[in-house]
Amino acid sequence: MTDAKRVLMGEGLFSPELGDGHLIGTHCKSCGDYFFPRTFTCHNPQCEAKDVEDVPLSPTGKVSTYSAMSYPPPPPYVAPKDYQPIPVVAVEMPEGIHIIGMMEACDPADVSIGMEVKTVITVLYANDKGEDLVGWKFKRV
Amino acid sequence: MEDIAIIGAGLHPWGKFPQKFWTNMAADAAHEALADAGIEWKDVQTVVSGSQNWGGRKGIYSGNYFDEVMGYNGVPTINVNNACATGGTCITVAAAMVASGYADVVLAVSADKSAKGFFPFLPPYHEEPVPADDTMRWMMGLPNPIYWALECRKKMIKFGITDEHLAQVKVATSKHGALNPMARYRKEFTLEEVLASPMVTDPLRLFEICATSDGAGAVVLCSAKKAKQYTTKPITICGAGLGSPLYGDPTTRIPVLGFMPKPDVPIISESWVAARGAYEQAGLGPEDIDFVEIPDNSSWHYFQYLETMGFFEEGTAHLALERGETMIGGRLPVCPSGGFSSFGEATMAQGFAQVYEMVLQLRGQCGARQVEGAKVGMSEVYGMAGNNSALILKN
Repeated sequence: MTDAKRVLMGEGLFSPELGDGHLIGTHCKSCGDYFFPRTFTCHNPQCEAKDVEDVPLSPTGKVSTYSAMSYPPPPPYVAPKDYQPIPVVAVEMPEGIHIIGMMEACDPADVSIGMEVKTVITVLYANDKGEDLVGWKFKRV
Repeated sequence: MEDIAIIGAGLHPWGKFPQKFWTNMAADAAHEALADAGIEWKDVQTVVSGSQNWGGRKGIYSGNYFDEVMGYNGVPTINVNNACATGGTCITVAAAMVASGYADVVLAVSADKSAKGFFPFLPPYHEEPVPADDTMRWMMGLPNPIYWALECRKKMIKFGITDEHLAQVKVATSKHGALNPMARYRKEFTLEEVLASPMVTDPLRLFEICATSDGAGAVVLCSAKKAKQYTTKPITICGAGLGSPLYGDPTTRIPVLGFMPKPDVPIISESWVAARGAYEQAGLGPEDIDFVEIPDNSSWHYFQYLETMGFFEEGTAHLALERGETMIGGRLPVCPSGGFSSFGEATMAQGFAQVYEMVLQLRGQCGARQVEGAKVGMSEVYGMAGNNSALILKN
């Protein structure tokens, strides 16, 4: 962690403080469905009222599938010189929505389906302007 | 839709051609297709051209720059972009133009010079109120194959598919590709070689994900009634299905970051929809298809498409591969051309490589890789963001 300026991946996508946190999605009060990233309308074609509000999503969920990026991802991602494969997971939240993200501090071999993880808000890397880019990752509970 | 005939087809070989303009590649393919149909450029009444993502502004308006090198003559021109399903979509749009009576003779054409390696981020040129998923996924380091890997892992666990099954796909497609002079990669691979290739997005290895290539193709279409004046061997398009996703699709579809699966919605639903649309139009089912060209972007696609298109029960395509049923000479030859795995994907033109192979197969012109007695062929091509095109052709 540096003293560099911090920038969020986007406004209102997740709790703003670093550390344990949660994502912010859109909930349709009419049909009950959830969306991420947040949106201005309900996407359910069966839903007529489409009364939506932005809500915090559950902080924890269960891994529904996993992979790992063996090669450094292409730009705008900035990979360190000593890049090591990073696990990538889809996580099923109790709301029924699945969220994709990278795992923090985790060997790819240690990831499994059903594993319980929590949402962490963290610096992903220093971007091409030298700012610390803040986004979400998942961490084993 | 009434039956539409393909009266001419042309294909530029797939590979890397840094010294050649893509317009040159498109023109080569088009001239071959026109000569095959026995007509001239001036006889074309509409051009439907695949729009490219990697060719800058000229690539987006590809048809106009294609017209320029063919010789401007005022021909109505449409640029089409349905991601990697663009090729099949161009042919479908061209067929609809003929069927509607808008034009009698339509040329569908597409060329692509793909970006090297992982396809790159295409940033929006305006501020987004909330960054789109396709913006954020690149910030997070999630290129296309990671999405396929996430689906592949789920499928492997659910149905007992092994690393060897994934590798066997490349072994199978490379056997076919070795017999195709239009393919870029013509080496036959062994299981050991595929398994020894580097892991890219676990569980998918380098040789289990298609490369990116340059390529171009073209076909000339006219109504089935008028086809006889041009050729004694017209190939008929009897089904042309397009698809978009169903709500609640459970797929980790490029570029989603959040998705909410609903019960009973099929995986890759856009492809499920397109295949069924094509079957319905043709009045045919999977049992009537003699060979199939599928989008084998990765080993996962190979298995999933064979099941989604209805050729095998969900979770059994790997067993059919094991039994040799998907080889030329087997129950359902799959990718007799060698597939994307042997061609490398020239995104917007890839559908044309499939259709070219189907035309040659249905004319009985495939030599060593000929599917004996081929009467009905089917292709399906997969595009990101929920695009799909399925075509059924017969002789």
